[in-house]
Amino acid sequence: MTVVLGYDESAGSVRALHVAVEVSAAFGDPLVLVYGAAAPGSLGEEYAAHHQALVDAGRSALRHAVEVADEAGVPTTVEIIDEKPAQALLVAAARHRARVIVVGSWGESPMRGALLGSTPHKLLHLSRIPVLCVPTEE
Amino acid sequence: MATTEGSADLPTGLKPNAIGFVDALVIGLNATSPAYSLAAVIGPVVALVGIYAPGVMLASFVPMLLIASAFYYLNRVDQDCGTTFSWVTRAMGPWAGWLGGWAIAMTGVLVVGSLADVAVTFALLAFGLDGWVDNDLVRQVLTVLVILVMTALCVIGTELSARVQNVLILAQVACLLIFAVVALYRVYADTGTLDSVRPSVEWLNPFGSGGASLTAALLLGVFIYWGWESAVNLTEEVENSATAPGKAAVWSTIVLLVTYVSVAVAVVAYAGTTFLADNAGEEEFVFALLADEAMGGWHWVVLLAVSTSALASTQTTIIPASRTALSMARRRALPQPFARIHPRYRTPDVSTWWVAGIAIVWYLIVYQLSENALFDSLTALSLLIAFYYALTGLACAVYYRRRLTESLHNLLLIGLGPLVGAGLLAWLLVESVVDMSDPANSYSGVAWLGVGPPLVIGVGIALAGVIVMFVWRFVSPAFWSERPGVAEPEPQHGEEH
Repeated sequence: MTVVLGYDESAGSVRALHVAVEVSAAFGDPLVLVYGAAAPGSLGEEYAAHHQALVDAGRSALRHAVEVADEAGVPTTVEIIDEKPAQALLVAAARHRARVIVVGSWGESPMRGALLGSTPHKLLHLSRIPVLCVPTEE
Repeated sequence: MATTEGSADLPTGLKPNAIGFVDALVIGLNATSPAYSLAAVIGPVVALVGIYAPGVMLASFVPMLLIASAFYYLNRVDQDCGTTFSWVTRAMGPWAGWLGGWAIAMTGVLVVGSLADVAVTFALLAFGLDGWVDNDLVRQVLTVLVILVMTALCVIGTELSARVQNVLILAQVACLLIFAVVALYRVYADTGTLDSVRPSVEWLNPFGSGGASLTAALLLGVFIYWGWESAVNLTEEVENSATAPGKAAVWSTIVLLVTYVSVAVAVVAYAGTTFLADNAGEEEFVFALLADEAMGGWHWVVLLAVSTSALASTQTTIIPASRTALSMARRRALPQPFARIHPRYRTPDVSTWWVAGIAIVWYLIVYQLSENALFDSLTALSLLIAFYYALTGLACAVYYRRRLTESLHNLLLIGLGPLVGAGLLAWLLVESVVDMSDPANSYSGVAWLGVGPPLVIGVGIALAGVIVMFVWRFVSPAFWSERPGVAEPEPQHGEEH
């Protein structure tokens, strides 16, 4: 079993990283760090440039997360998946037989989240395994 | 550090097997946005060449077809990095590449105002609010609002689902064809409300009118096929890629050509030459007027089709323009802020808002100054499109120059075809520039700085690009250290497919 974390350096995900590291350490599970790199709007010119920009952003985010996990002595695997964030987490969870998916929330109003598309919101409905949703700090 | 397993199976570009026949067909149609293109261009083209409009519609496709071949082969070298900007940089070096990128981003910026304006105008007409259309203030405020809302949607990364898009685009094409059929039926049944004329084969002769009006019309014709090349580029990502993509590209082309030619024939036949001459000053609304005449109480169906087509296109235009800016900034050809990706929405928000900002300023200026803003900006736009298409065609032949002699196929499709296409477009460009430099030939006869307005706009944008390029060359020389490359001859096989 593993713990799967969606990480993108947002405030919510930074806190989620610490929670996920604690959970991994407690269960003795490896931590899978996931970044969904699909660009919104999958068709059209220069899609690849946009996609590559996201992959770069994901690499640098996950590198920082790995450092944090290494310090805590939690083994990690990195996944940059060409799907939108929620879908990427579901794919990674299935691939790594996840015990739980950990995500940070943006701490937005439910209406805003519904309008703008919120990853935790989608996961709570779609995931077949438990989802641990971590709010931003006060 | 842990292994990066996921990146090994990262597809380059599009997801494989993600697109079926209908999707590929729709993408080919969607990229050109036929309802909007027709509504915007049919009036001016008919005003320019009269009954030969259908012929012009056909003839304009020829350079497009040849250039699409260049896009297809360049896409194979550099699937990772998109389009004209990166290809031209690779083939012909940073200066030409930068100008190509500038042209492609600016075309996107320039057309957004016209798209939003057409979307608003036709929506108002469809809902019977004709009075609002004549009120410039109301229309322009609504247009700016539409641009802002559509840009916000692009930044948030919201898109209509593929299925909704498919339904919309197929419905648009159906509406256009219904219009053509109804109009032609009424011509033959003699129930038309105007002095109709029966179509003749002669109308398909593109050279019927000749002279300055022909080059101007052909240049506008390039505009209606603008974007068509993206249908060709899909080929390898489509399901059953042996047959489906080719079929979809062929079918989308046939549907497009049939739609354009039949609507052009229907417009000329139904309206007759007197009506078109009488309404020459109204050519922005010729299509709307005719929809009203031919379809009677059902005209809103056609108007709504045009409006949704234009609305959907604002998004498909803003996104490539902002991504081109993103791509240029990532290679240090533009300032770094343009490369910013919004952390929440994962879209290039800075580039996107800049595109919208310039588009709005541009729209307001042109519609204040010009007597016939739509015509002038579309013509200026066509100059830029012809420029970057010609550049791409040239880049293809230059990049593959050492492989042209490997086979007849290479020589024709990679060398000669794109070169002839580039030559045709360059000829159109030069001819139009010469014609427009005499204001008497410009559509409205108005002169800016002693020449036709579209030329001022086109040259102005090109000059602005050159100035920005030189400034940026000295501020940040990194991009200018890139050197052009060339495709080396293949040791064994001449062709990859």
